[in-house]
Amino acid sequence: MRRFAKDNALSLFFLLLFALALAGQSVAGNAAYNERQRAEGGAAVSWPEYVTSSEFAVDVAENWQSEYLQFLLFIMATVWWVQRGSPESKKPGDEGPESDEQQKVGRHADPDSPAWAKATGLRQTLYGNSLGTVMGLVFLLSWLAQSVAGQASRNSERLARLQDPVSWGEYVTSADFWNRTLQNWQSEFLAVLSMVVLSIYLRQRGSPESKPVGTPHGATDVEG
Amino acid sequence: MNTRSTLAAGAALTSLLALSGCASADGPAAERAVLRFYAAVAGGQGGQACSLLTPEAAEGLRAAGETCEQAVLALALPGGDVTGTRVWGDEAQVRLARDTVFLHRFTQGWLVRGAGCRPRGDLPYDCEVEG
Repeated sequence: MRRFAKDNALSLFFLLLFALALAGQSVAGNAAYNERQRAEGGAAVSWPEYVTSSEFAVDVAENWQSEYLQFLLFIMATVWWVQRGSPESKKPGDEGPESDEQQKVGRHADPDSPAWAKATGLRQTLYGNSLGTVMGLVFLLSWLAQSVAGQASRNSERLARLQDPVSWGEYVTSADFWNRTLQNWQSEFLAVLSMVVLSIYLRQRGSPESKPVGTPHGATDVEG
Repeated sequence: MNTRSTLAAGAALTSLLALSGCASADGPAAERAVLRFYAAVAGGQGGQACSLLTPEAAEGLRAAGETCEQAVLALALPGGDVTGTRVWGDEAQVRLARDTVFLHRFTQGWLVRGAGCRPRGDLPYDCEVEG
């Protein structure tokens, strides 16, 4: 058990943080929602009602989709583009999907390589793109969930203000949908940009996300 | 698609529909509240009609110096048959042949927050009863 916890400490740490933050969001969100409801002459809702509501769902989904988009773009952009000096980047000249030998696939696979990496054809292609594919799928599903829950939340607000509800098509072309979407995207893109650029010049001793402290600024693809 | 995938897809779709309000069974309850309200007004039962209004809507009618019971019976609410109902979360809109009614769901059931409403494009409806 202790061995398992030690070997998986990073995942367990973030899983715990995720659960605590989501629980905190649900409590704070419920309180904020009930505050608005009372101000507008509506009825307060319980915590179970709130966490199954469209209001909570849209707030969760809009953040999920942007996080998965961030990692999808980071994974895909770093295949084709480099940043000299950044530990997040490959070396200049290595742009592209690289050779089978470099990627250890097919006949270049190691004895302990994953089975689908040793395979050829569709299975190798699928496995060779599985990380980006799953990130992309989760992004699209989260964005779809944001649009559906967002429409429900928006329509609830509109009816409370004595306005007609809008269709899904009207919602996904509305200012509310794109405001929610783009405010999340811009912060994610800024975070990636900061990581790529700041890690050229700054160091975090012991972190694999940083170059070793003494590594020159111009060294690329060196992780500590 | 195997059984587990089908179940997972079904669960995801059900969750989306539930969140979207599409699977709501609350429409008939909201319609019944509207019909009770209009029947009370038509029957001259001001007290009964006011008990079917949200506290803010009832307060809005009292603001003119009359009691809610007097004010609600003095309104010329056009009414008519139900032509459509839309429910989103705890809010509902019931369209009648000659009127549009807005309701909010409280623990005791649906209460009318807007009646005698005229559309104004994308602006909020202009309602005789509003709160």
